[in-house]
Formats: sequence, C-alpha cells, structure tokens
Amino acid sequence: MAGSGLAPLRDRPDVLLRVEELVVEFPVGRKDVVHAVSGISFDVAEGETLGIVGESGCGKSTVARAIVRLNDVRGGKVMFEGKNLAVLEGEELRKSRPDLQMIFQDPISSLNPRRKVRDVISEGLKVWGSQMGAWSEGRIDELMHAVGVDPKFGDRRPHQFSGGQCQRIGIARALAMDPKVLICDEPVSALDVSVQAQVLNLLEDMKVRYGLTLLFISHDLAVVKNVSDRIIVMYLGKACEIGAADELYEHPRHPYTRALLASIPEPAPTVEVSEGDIEGELPSPINPPKGCRFNTRCPHADEICYEVEPQMEAAGDDHFVACHHPVAVSIDD
Amino acid sequence: MAEPLLTVRDLSVRFPTTRGVVQAVNGVEFDLEEGQTIGIVGESGSGKSVTAKTLMNLLPRSAEIEGEVTFDGRDVREIAAKGEDHFWGVQMTMVFQDPMTSLNPVKRCGEQIAETLRYHLGHDKKKAISESIDLLERVGIPEPAKRERQYPHELSGGLRQRVVIAMALACQPRLLIADEPTTAVDVTVQKLLLDLLDDLRKERQMSMILITHDLGVARGRCDEVAVMYAGRIVERADSHTLFSDSRHPYTDALLRSIPRIEQPSHTRLDPIPGRPPELINPPVRCAYAPRCRFAQRNCLEEIPDVSGVVGMHSFACHYPANTERGEAALQSNLDRGETAGGLHLHAVAEGAS
Repeated sequence: MAGSGLAPLRDRPDVLLRVEELVVEFPVGRKDVVHAVSGISFDVAEGETLGIVGESGCGKSTVARAIVRLNDVRGGKVMFEGKNLAVLEGEELRKSRPDLQMIFQDPISSLNPRRKVRDVISEGLKVWGSQMGAWSEGRIDELMHAVGVDPKFGDRRPHQFSGGQCQRIGIARALAMDPKVLICDEPVSALDVSVQAQVLNLLEDMKVRYGLTLLFISHDLAVVKNVSDRIIVMYLGKACEIGAADELYEHPRHPYTRALLASIPEPAPTVEVSEGDIEGELPSPINPPKGCRFNTRCPHADEICYEVEPQMEAAGDDHFVACHHPVAVSIDD
Repeated sequence: MAEPLLTVRDLSVRFPTTRGVVQAVNGVEFDLEEGQTIGIVGESGSGKSVTAKTLMNLLPRSAEIEGEVTFDGRDVREIAAKGEDHFWGVQMTMVFQDPMTSLNPVKRCGEQIAETLRYHLGHDKKKAISESIDLLERVGIPEPAKRERQYPHELSGGLRQRVVIAMALACQPRLLIADEPTTAVDVTVQKLLLDLLDDLRKERQMSMILITHDLGVARGRCDEVAVMYAGRIVERADSHTLFSDSRHPYTDALLRSIPRIEQPSHTRLDPIPGRPPELINPPVRCAYAPRCRFAQRNCLEEIPDVSGVVGMHSFACHYPANTERGEAALQSNLDRGETAGGLHLHAVAEGAS
C-alpha cells in the first residue's frame, strides 16, 4: 500500500484544502526515524466532509495534527487559500490558526479543568478580539445554545459536565473562531453509544449552520461512513484507497479496505467474512516494508509487491486505489 | 435440561459514598448453561462491570451485596466467605479490558502464566514454564518460546491480550468472564481475538460471559444477550430475538441510534435524548422513563416488573415496543407532542420513513 501519487487530487475551483505528498517523521533514539506519514495526497472541497479511517498507528491523527501544525512537517505541502501552511512561520502561521480548528478525542482532558466553560469557549475570541471584532457575551451564549449546552451553566467547570456535554463545549470552543475547516480527531470514540449519535448529528447541524468543511478521523468504519462524503483509507503512513463514501463501501478495491470491512462485528455485505483474517499485525513504522507497505499481511502479495510501491490510480468514478492487484469489482445487476 | 452452571438471583450491589448510596446493580437475574455465552450490553455506569466483579469476588469490602449466586450447585458467596483461593482463577476466571494494566510490567509473560499454574495446580517451575509455552501457542502467539521470555511492553496490544487470555485459560476454567476484551484493540485484531475465544469455548465446553458496549459484538458472538440500564437488566433474550424483535424501548432506541454500515452516508441518526440517570438515591420509577418516547404516567410512578417471559425473552417495561400496547402509548405521546416524562417529541422523526 502505498499510496503515493497525485492522482486523487481534483482540479476544481472549490478545493479548500489540498495536501500534497505530506511527509511527517519523528526521530527516535540516535538515528532511527518513525515514518508516521509518508507522502499522502488528498484534497477537501468546500463544504465537504473527508473521513480518514485506519487502524491505530496508521498515521491518521498525525495527518490532522500536521495540517494544523501541531506536528512539524517534514516534506510536502498543505495548501489552504493560496498559502502553504507547512512552511508558514511566526505571525503568518498565527494568523492562519482561526481558520482551522480542531476537536479532540478525550473531551474532558481537552478542556482546562480549572476554568469556567464560558472562559474556555471565549478564550480564542478574547485573544483575537481586536482583529475579529466579534467578541461579546451574546456570541458565547449563542454558541453554547447552538451546541446544546444551556448558557446558564457557563460558570461551571468541565468536571461538572458529562463526557458528551464536554465534547459539545469543545465543539463550541472550536466554532467560536468562526473556522473554515473543522478537524475532528476521533470525536465520538470516548462517548457512550447513546450519546455518540447526538454528537454526530450535532456536527452535521453545525456543518450546515456555520458552513464548515470537515476532516473527520475515526477508526469506526460505520461512523466514518455516516458523516463523510469522501473517505481515505490509511495504512502505515500511506493511503490505500480514496473514494466517495458510498462507492468505497459498495465496491472496495484494496485488499486492506476489504479486510477492514470484513472485520467489523457485523460485516459489510459487500465482502466475504474470510477476508477479515489478515495475518499478523501492523509492522513497525521505523522499518516499514519495502515496496507496498501492506505486503506483510496481504493475501494477494507477490514479487512486484515486495519491490515496487504501487501508485494511486483511478478505479472508478471518484475512486482511487493504490494496489498492484486490486480486487475486481463483482459485476452484479 | 441439566442444571445451569451459573444462576444469579436478585443480585443487588450498593456502594456507600459521601454523596449517598450508589445503587450500582439492582435485582439482576440470569442463568448460564454449560458451553453457552451470554452477552451483557450497556453503557458506562449501567452496572455490567460491577456485576462481573461481584461474580469474581473482586469488589471492595465497602460494597453491600445482596442476592444469590450459585455456581455448579454451590453458593458463590459462601465460597468467598470460606476463603477458597482455588475457586477464582481455576473454575471461574476473567479477562479485563486493558491488557497493559492487567499484566505485570516487570515480569516476563511466560512467568506470569506459570505463576498461575504453580499457585493453583502446584506445578514445579519447569513444568509450569513448558505448559505456559503450550498455552501461548494455543492462543495463536507466533514463536511462543521466544515470547515467553519477553516482557509485556515488548508485545503489541493484540498479543498482550492473547497472553491475558492464555493466563485466564491456564487452569481450564468452566466459566470465563470477558469484560470488554476487545475495546482497546483495532477491528482486525478484534475479529481474531473473538474468533479465538469462540474456538476455545467450543473446544473446552466452557461457558462465557461477554461484557461489551458494542451491540454488533454481542449480536455476533452470544447465544443470549442481556441489556442493562441503570443497574437493571431491562431486556434479555436469545440474540436473534433481541436484535430482530426487541421489546424494551431502550434496546429499541439503542439499535436505532448507532450508525450502520449498510446505511448510505449522511443518514440522519436517531439519538436517545438526555443521558443516563444518577444512581444515587434513584426515584421510584422506570429509570429510562425520562428518555423514553413511550413513557406514560405510571412509568414515572412504579418500577416495571420483569414480564413477558415467553420462552427465553423477558423485559421490564409497562409499554413494550413492537406491541399493540406500546405502539398505542407511543402514538398518544406523538399526538400530544410530549411524553409523560416531559420529553418533547418531534413528529418529524416518525414521519420520515
């Protein structure tokens, strides 16, 4: 699995965020390097939701964090409104921050426990107040109301709220900056099932109400499908397959995507359950396999897979796969 | 039918705290036959882990336990009172959610399994180690002789959980309690671990209690499923019936709130409004009533008995879903626009088919 190549990038005027050949590496020990993200390319059009799925350690969170520069970028570009975020520094970087906001997995630990939630939500606005000119108590009330937290509880502290409400507060904090892109890193993984649906619906509502573009990261295939327009499947720092959500689940081409879909407790009807039995576990990102990175676990791997890294190629209408032996689409009806 | 291996009758667990008494488990009842798997599903705080810990005699002394638990004809609480060390760990064992914290980080994996064998079965060191290598092989760990010498941090999450399973199986237990055994691992690993547990269970005619918040896991892996809410089992049935013909409005709502893989993207979800109740001094009423779309006056005044015992299917609800009585209650609430519990209903949710 490799997924190098710019094929999945679309040449459309409404592309808001465009990531090209993004590389993120972390040094470990004296000379080793963790190849967390190795040349990923994708784009997100305005108003679209892009889902990123993959197992833990595949680099999906690193991609998100690199876009907002919580990680240093080793190579590649992150183009947003004509600027390459990957190389911005100082004041210019700071100025780009309000446009890209993030919500995190653990709703409770991502809020400062010692501050009132009203202050948590308004902090960004206060910092940016002079530039944005929008700071007012009324705005905070409106935001709290929008995410479904009663503004009269604004003087409470995070521990007085449940996990689901804390996640709503985290969303309000992100929305306060009036962002263009909202990056959601496993936003519902820590929540109970009955609360999960509330937060997913809220995100959809906020997307419409505030005209957001979403990057949605999750390991839960059903959740990702529910919120996304397009989905990118990642494996060991590379992209395997990119496509429109329904198409990708309907006609998965990459053996890894098929394995994922076959592994969920109620497998997708489009794959054989036996395909879920891929052997072994994720190889170390310090010494990723040569050729296709999925070759150690792939049932279809042969010589070429150990030598040559597959490139992203079109596999249908808005559907790209990086595999030497993509699974043929069964011709039914 | 033979006597069930495990019977739980009217089990209640309370924890006194500074803020009041927490009623964690309330009147839980179920039977488990030899070789069968029962799934316990519920959200955090529903009492599923406390139930498991009660069976394993792992609760703190402060816990007030009432009710009767019988294992193979013996009263489990009597066994606890006698201090029989070789009951838990031999007859009944448990696998926990997080394999990193349930293994000792400064002991080799093989040694930890051998410890169980030496303590419970009195094996000498050499025999215990060689048997633990066999066990590691049985749970599908490649190169067991090498892994035996390794420490938990040298293994991936999936392998660690296999070590924990090997340890739990070391003394050939008759009942294995698995508390969220796959919550900390990825789907591909989850499938392999659940397959492994299934195989081992069949091979050894072992009974299993599988605790999970994942309805899909419960559906695929259990003979029978019990749904817990606020410390009570609100519905219990064989897994096919539970998922295809549920009666309790909570089960029904849970099933409708989770995103499903076969739905097209952007399908609007049908969430459960509100959140689970406090367990401190709960009022006398159906605990789900404030969130329930079917709720009527009496739901707020009396706790429904477990009823409708048709075959194996039982539930505790005044106005069960998918019945005439329940549908009539729901319709009257929809007509009024709110339930007796004050929950506003939007007809839209119903109208959209």
